[in-house]
Amino acid sequence: MKTTSALSARSRAAFSGLAVTALAAGALTACGSSKSAKSEPSQAAAASSSPAGDPHKAVVTVTAAGGCAVDHTDFPAGQVTFDISNKDATAVSEIELQSGQRIIGEKENLPPGFNGSFTVALEAGSYSLVCPGSGQPTRQLTVTGAASTSADADLSTLLTQGAKEYKTYVDTQVGYLVQTTQALDSSLKGADLVAAQKAYMKARPYYEKIEPVAESFAVGNDDLDKALDARADDVPPAEWAGFHRIEKGLFEDKSLAGLAAYGDALVTDVQKLQGLTAALEYKPFELANGAQELLDEVSKTKVTGEEERYSHIDLLDFQSNVEGSEQAFADLRPALQKIDPALTGTIADAFSALDKLLDTYRTGDNPSGFVLYGTLKDTDKPKLVAAVKAVQEPLSQVAAKVTKA
Amino acid sequence: MPPRASRRQLLGRALGVAVGAGAAGAAGFGVARATEPGPAATPAAPQHDPTADIVPFYGAHQAGIATPAQDRLAFAAFDVTTASVQDLQVLLGTWSAAAAQLTRGLPVGAVETDPQSPPIDTGEAEGLSAARLTITVGFGPSLFDQRFGLSAKRPAALADLPTLPGDGTLVPARSGGDLCVQACADDPTVAFHAIRNFARLARGKAVIRWSQLGFGRTSATSVGQQTERNLMGFKDGTRNIKAETGADLDGYVWVGAEGEQSWMRGGSYLVARRIRMLIESWDTDRLADQENVFGRFKTSGAPLTGKAESDTPDFAAEGADGRPVIPVGAHIRLAAPETNGGQKILRRGYSYTDGIDTATGLLDAGLFFIAYQKDPRAQFVPIQTRLAQHDNLNEYIRHTGSALFAVPPGLAAAGDWWGKALFG
Repeated sequence: MKTTSALSARSRAAFSGLAVTALAAGALTACGSSKSAKSEPSQAAAASSSPAGDPHKAVVTVTAAGGCAVDHTDFPAGQVTFDISNKDATAVSEIELQSGQRIIGEKENLPPGFNGSFTVALEAGSYSLVCPGSGQPTRQLTVTGAASTSADADLSTLLTQGAKEYKTYVDTQVGYLVQTTQALDSSLKGADLVAAQKAYMKARPYYEKIEPVAESFAVGNDDLDKALDARADDVPPAEWAGFHRIEKGLFEDKSLAGLAAYGDALVTDVQKLQGLTAALEYKPFELANGAQELLDEVSKTKVTGEEERYSHIDLLDFQSNVEGSEQAFADLRPALQKIDPALTGTIADAFSALDKLLDTYRTGDNPSGFVLYGTLKDTDKPKLVAAVKAVQEPLSQVAAKVTKA
Repeated sequence: MPPRASRRQLLGRALGVAVGAGAAGAAGFGVARATEPGPAATPAAPQHDPTADIVPFYGAHQAGIATPAQDRLAFAAFDVTTASVQDLQVLLGTWSAAAAQLTRGLPVGAVETDPQSPPIDTGEAEGLSAARLTITVGFGPSLFDQRFGLSAKRPAALADLPTLPGDGTLVPARSGGDLCVQACADDPTVAFHAIRNFARLARGKAVIRWSQLGFGRTSATSVGQQTERNLMGFKDGTRNIKAETGADLDGYVWVGAEGEQSWMRGGSYLVARRIRMLIESWDTDRLADQENVFGRFKTSGAPLTGKAESDTPDFAAEGADGRPVIPVGAHIRLAAPETNGGQKILRRGYSYTDGIDTATGLLDAGLFFIAYQKDPRAQFVPIQTRLAQHDNLNEYIRHTGSALFAVPPGLAAAGDWWGKALFG
């Protein structure tokens, strides 16, 4: 059982650990794994093109008219490096190596005038080299020789494992949500306003980390997101309850009067959420979409200060959304590393830049652990949004990749 | 069930499966559909004559300068956020490829993608023609700082613009930028689509610093075009450099062998100024004064010394009272080559409006001035210095944004990219 305070640090440590092992695995040729160099302007890489006839090297030339032409199409099983140059295909920006529907190697960001490469370990079978957008987008390749263990099984095991880990994460967070909400409810029945405010700040992150899961229960009587997280203008005034109704009492009215009833209802609702989530299973693409949705929440309601309009602890919610998103990505990462190491690296780098930026807003000056929204300068907000968008753009590619894997 | 579910609906529906076993069949269908491979990612064939409305993208000079001015503008300045030179190069290569697609009326990538992937092209220009779209890219002075090792490649002519008289009203958030993208087209959606997709392709590498939409070209840049009016109701681009005048283009617009940076030969320097017009004040000014401010008749556009718009102004002419017919502070006199040692600039500006100034309720509208030239130190800077000091128009305008960019020469063919010679 993970403890609350260690969770964020542990999941982040797990990321960096993964990065190291995954790269090492790439070098040691785990089946189906690939690594790819960054794209370079063509003239810089011209010297590195291989002598003709190396059976483990494929020289791929992409043109608008001819698609992806490859210097030979038969390869022995084992490591194959694809050296790719895009001559003039303006509609092509990536090249994929597919086995059936599965992408096993890929080079992205390859506009005309640029070179790049990726290396994969191939077992016997048929493969297609695909450059989407070109005139002749597909080339068939044949690999002969000793077969080794199935990469597909590995990948699907990794994905299943990742989805299970995510379920554990969600269930754990919901468990903490129930505990901290119960504590909040008790404090609302007491007389200490400051203690109740602190209890509110303790409970909020657990909801924000798993928000898309809670939001999925939006049918009829089970509209839990509305019950738990509606803001004042989301619902008719008479129906307004949940976290933000309590927030208004604690931080704007600065009074505990009448809040206990909202606290009791909140406890009932988070327990209901716990019951519903306990029964859930997740598919890998749902992790990807959930991660994306958490970041949407950040740029839509946290950066604008709408979410925590009385307590102004929006940056705490921000960080919680990001952590939930990072967790889903971390659970997909071992599989994604095999499918598309370059994309995995891009997303990991963007997440770490976002974490670093968020860290600059940490403070001990208030119990939320972050500066309050009102102290953000107008120049801070675009920076935060740009850092979130830098994750979202590559992250939006993940769902399709884990679905095809 | 809707043909395509949103991300949120999908997650919700799929999660719902595990809860209600009875719903499993229906939800299972939703998931299966969503995971089916999409149609081949080939850009849809354009539904129009592919050669109509296309301005060639490749050539000795970038299109969008001497190209007869289109009706609409979308302009953006970007700040580069990546610290990696390689990322910046790939971005410029990706933009170059995207521009080659867009200027032919093609999307930057598939709109119909795998249902689990976002469309590569955002899609709002599907079915529209290229609308004479041109995309012109430039590099700001700040790109040549220490970040990318380009300081030795900075042209002398790319000197920061000096603070000119009246520049106190410039807004930093509407000024400067590491990169600029000028998209001009006869269709506003086509122009905006280009900027939007460029911003998306740049995500994680560069962010928009400021942007400006423009809606009515205010200068004729071809002898075949009539001069449109600015928001003051005057023709103010009559004596502009025209595309057909090769000698003027070589003499005043294109950088030649005189530049010390060979990568800029065939390029030009772009000065952009967001000039707000105090149009409510202007509207109450009497006609005779309006005409004296510009030095032209309002309706015909003729200089005050002539009959037709194209008549050459006679700056020496005096009226019966012995005073110059075209006043000493008239805009056309101060901007004229005759007043500026023969210097000319190629103006390519557009009218803009950004709604109202919330502080006053007055319209925020005016001219988004764009000028191309061989060397701003000899052209824009002295001309604007003179205007800023003496122009009768100053009473009715405020400069609120300012930027300078080095616009490299055109791309030779696919495989060439903006900045290839700069980084080479």
